[in-house]
Amino acid sequence: MTHPTPRPHWLTLALALTVAAGAGNTWATERSGTFKNMEGDVTLIREARSLPAVPGASLQEGDRIVTGRNSAVSAMLRDGTVVSVGPNSSLDLTHYAYENTSQNGSLLLNLLHGTVRMITGIMGKTNPELVKVTTPTAVIGVRGTDFIVEAQP
Amino acid sequence: MTRTTSPMATPSLLTAARWRTASVLATAAVLAGCASPPPPPPPPTLRVVLLPQKDATGQPVATAVQVTSGDKVQALDKAFALAELGAQGQLTQRIATVDEVQARYGDVLKIQPPSPQTFVLSFLPGSSNLTPESEQQLPRLIEQARARAGGEILVVGHTDRVGNAEANDRLSLQRAQAIANLFNARGFNPDLLSAIGRGEREPLVPTADDVAEPRNRRAEIVIR
Repeated sequence: MTHPTPRPHWLTLALALTVAAGAGNTWATERSGTFKNMEGDVTLIREARSLPAVPGASLQEGDRIVTGRNSAVSAMLRDGTVVSVGPNSSLDLTHYAYENTSQNGSLLLNLLHGTVRMITGIMGKTNPELVKVTTPTAVIGVRGTDFIVEAQP
Repeated sequence: MTRTTSPMATPSLLTAARWRTASVLATAAVLAGCASPPPPPPPPTLRVVLLPQKDATGQPVATAVQVTSGDKVQALDKAFALAELGAQGQLTQRIATVDEVQARYGDVLKIQPPSPQTFVLSFLPGSSNLTPESEQQLPRLIEQARARAGGEILVVGHTDRVGNAEANDRLSLQRAQAIANLFNARGFNPDLLSAIGRGEREPLVPTADDVAEPRNRRAEIVIR
């Protein structure tokens, strides 16, 4: 029997870093990323509302991406991280912070079920310890990486 | 067609194989307490596969991920290393084949956007105005961004090391913003346009502090 790993203290660290990085930032944006290619049935859920996911639409912290059968979607986050979601999947952008000038930040994806491919961007180099993917049963940490995670419902 | 094995060998091997099959099935039936064959093991509840990565020059890059489930850890650091979490909580690792990954993850691999492209624009000496050659490139850059699904333009400003670092952060951002405004004025969607100032952090030509170096006063345009 496995248990979800308890949330480590890195999130606290990430929040502290975000506040510190944000202090010198004259340039606030809610856009964490931008949708690129998509196929089939893709839904974006923001604050309990369904929004159309179209190429160029924004992806924000707290958003959930839901895909249907034979469907897939990709998005690029501000630091250049590429997130591709496969069919029958549900993925949360749980946390995203990135400061363009210092290139510091943190990223947490939560894969509820399905498949996600992540190619890390600048933060994979500047703050690899603050880039994570969680699933109901595991935590995946990275070092400048391209990988796929699949979680069964 | 020639056969090298003796005609006698085949029946005896077959018989032995039948015997083994029969005994395995019988054992399973006794253990399960019924006549049906044992169910296949449940599929893994989690799979993580590390894909090979190359840098801009095509050289392989060393990468790794660490998979943690409860108190179990697997570090993946080879191309196509695959971690699997079994239904009983066992976390194992093996090397998957390219075909296996392609067959299972074809959809998610196919949706990948094309790689970003980078261009450098130059300023007229001692000014924040683009050279005529650089200005002429703007329509073509917009076309390239529009040709991509959700295509963005990032303008990244850089300075030389004259003045303090904080002032250069502001200057590089102002310069990037001025160029972003040129793209906007030519009709490019401002939602897909970003201006970023990197100050003096990424010189094209490394210099000592407070050295004026025109080649470091530049803007990179990333189409992605």
